Amino acid sequence: MKDSNSSALELLEVRKQYGDHTALDGVSLKVPKASIFGLLGPNGAGKTTMIRMVAGITGPDSGSISFFGKSLTAEHINEVGYLPEERGLYKNMRVGEQAMYFARLRGMSKTEARKELLDWFERLEVDGWWNREVADLSKGMAQKIQFIVAVIHKPKFLILDEPLSGFDPINAARIRKEIIRLRDEYGTTILLSTHDMSSVDELCDHVALINHGRKILDGPVHDLREKARAGKIDLTFRGNLISFTAALGSGAILHSANSKGDSIHEVVLGLPSSIPIEKFLKWVTSEVDVLSCSPKTISMDDVFLRAVKDSAKNKMKQS
Amino acid sequence: MNRWLIVVGREFKTRVRKRAFIIATLLGPILMVGAIVIIAFLAEKATQSNAKVLFVDHNNLLTYSLPESDGVRIPSCTECFPERSYLEYRFTNEALTTEEFIASDFTAMLELDDGIMQSAKAVLQYEVAPSTRVTSGIKRDLGEAIERLRVKNESALDYETYKRLKVKIGLVTQDIVTQDQNVENKTGVGFAFAMFMFMFIMIYGNHVMRGVIEEKSSRIVEVVISVVKPEHLMSAKMAGIGLVGLTQILVWSLLSWILFLAFGLYAESSGLLVGLMSEQGSPVATTDLSSFLEASDDLNVLMQIDWFMMVGWGAFFYVAGFALYSSLFAAIGAAVESEADAQYLLIPAMLPLMFSYLVNLMILESPESMLAVVCSFIPFTSPITMMIRLSVGVPWWHVVISAGILIVTVCLMVKMAGKVYKTGILMYGKKPTLREMFRWLMYKN
Repeated sequence: MKDSNSSALELLEVRKQYGDHTALDGVSLKVPKASIFGLLGPNGAGKTTMIRMVAGITGPDSGSISFFGKSLTAEHINEVGYLPEERGLYKNMRVGEQAMYFARLRGMSKTEARKELLDWFERLEVDGWWNREVADLSKGMAQKIQFIVAVIHKPKFLILDEPLSGFDPINAARIRKEIIRLRDEYGTTILLSTHDMSSVDELCDHVALINHGRKILDGPVHDLREKARAGKIDLTFRGNLISFTAALGSGAILHSANSKGDSIHEVVLGLPSSIPIEKFLKWVTSEVDVLSCSPKTISMDDVFLRAVKDSAKNKMKQS
Repeated sequence: MNRWLIVVGREFKTRVRKRAFIIATLLGPILMVGAIVIIAFLAEKATQSNAKVLFVDHNNLLTYSLPESDGVRIPSCTECFPERSYLEYRFTNEALTTEEFIASDFTAMLELDDGIMQSAKAVLQYEVAPSTRVTSGIKRDLGEAIERLRVKNESALDYETYKRLKVKIGLVTQDIVTQDQNVENKTGVGFAFAMFMFMFIMIYGNHVMRGVIEEKSSRIVEVVISVVKPEHLMSAKMAGIGLVGLTQILVWSLLSWILFLAFGLYAESSGLLVGLMSEQGSPVATTDLSSFLEASDDLNVLMQIDWFMMVGWGAFFYVAGFALYSSLFAAIGAAVESEADAQYLLIPAMLPLMFSYLVNLMILESPESMLAVVCSFIPFTSPITMMIRLSVGVPWWHVVISAGILIVTVCLMVKMAGKVYKTGILMYGKKPTLREMFRWLMYKN
């Protein structure tokens, strides 16, 4: 186990109850420094509750939250950036003035805030909007301003809740690039909550999955994928499927097969760890005409769905 | 503290720079004075259409006729019926029939006979009611004529001596303890203060509620309360908006004062005062506005009011009353998601305010009644009812106790409202009932 100094955020047995509803039921997790940490889970799983705690809006009923090795307190306000899922802007303020307001609330001086904001406005191509009314902004524009406002004070820890919703693909890509830049250039630790699995695949180093207020899975993305792959191989070949299956014998498990006509078949094979992949390849090329062979691609979607299914099964068993 | 001030600054700035606010603030007193001037002007205009009165002296009591005058008679006392721009008489001793009257160009027909010497009553008939200016002109003229006749018939005095001897008594009412004079008139000033108080608490209390609803429904609040504690956000919002109201009051007071001075200068230099005074029959003529006000029975109260005390306590009761009610409004705003949803919660919150207004109407006549005293101690009514009591003079310890109770209540109320606000502001998708809101008070942090 790594020491807690390498964690930006550490939750220990965090519990939160709202009336009869248990929002978080003893969740523990560690968010490594300078990583993009995906927080996943179905609606109502407890993600927002957890995020609000880290953002300093609510506190846990029990358990502890430490922030860069210290107990999380109001003093850390300026070190946290927060982009909530449901977000808005004041209608009766101009764009620049509004951004200044939020920057100053995060402890920036006027001159510093102005300089940084102008920089960000240019980077995200909203310069020229400084003196415009908020009512004139398109949804995407407003989202950009909200993103800027969340990151303007260079927080050590950034919470992004569905940061890409509302963006067109071009701007979504731009924001994705900025998120990665924040981690790489400034070493910002980012807690990213999303339902969009493609952005998890692209962005996250680590993920945690919570459901019904409990953590059901967490770890580095790569490890989780490898685990979910469980040695499966995608193979496409030309030949006879029946004789191929017969030749496989008990050496490998055929999980699925899909014929594409012209005696082309796509199969998913489970290879026992006792058989090295080179040996299998040698054998298979001698049997059939191999068109492609690769480790099975596992999307985070698959990982997610399987974990939720498994946790539901476990729950059934328990009850 | 710094963040709190930033929020206060935003709440204040975004409101005072609104065009509607600037116009209302700068033009408010001008519009009010303007409205009064226009009404006075229209009233003047309305009476300017000349009244032509047929004076029917059935028993030739006050008139005589010249030979060959064709029924036209002449008043025995010509100076009793002076020439006026708005009132003209024609004297006769034969009444017109209804048809004749309608066909004639007379505005009214005044009939009198011997009985007037005892009853002091005459009959005025009209098709369209004449203005009060006309009727009071007739009353004055006829009154003088009858008076002269009676003095001549029943005494050895000449009329000038009689007039000199006649006395009109005025009462200077005075509180024996406080030595305050003309208390009845002062309640009017207190009432005006109370009405402004009521108006400002209503308007700016509503601003607080709408501001809270805007932040909640547009979901800005989530970002703000990650930086500022919810109860601090609420109090900063109240402070910012309260300041907006205070600014408006200040500007209105200043502008009214300037307008008053300007009017004074105009009135003093134009001779308007002299004209007004002679019309009122005042024995003194002055060109100085303050002596004019001093001499006027109705307006001298303006010179007697302790404005410094009224404005000072007025500011205190506004701030405290506003804090009390706006914290209620803020809690309501936090509990709902739209202004429409707020209506059913607003009613119980506004009841005490409405009640104070009604109480004020009742205690206007008797500002020292039990009702007035009790209501000036109850924190929900005191900001409004105390203003009337202050205007007529109130024992200092009453004000201090009332202020003390109010301050304690405000502190409790803000604390309680803060709890409701904190719970409500992040709760979406359901309309809470009053009972639920009370339950939120019990939530621990």
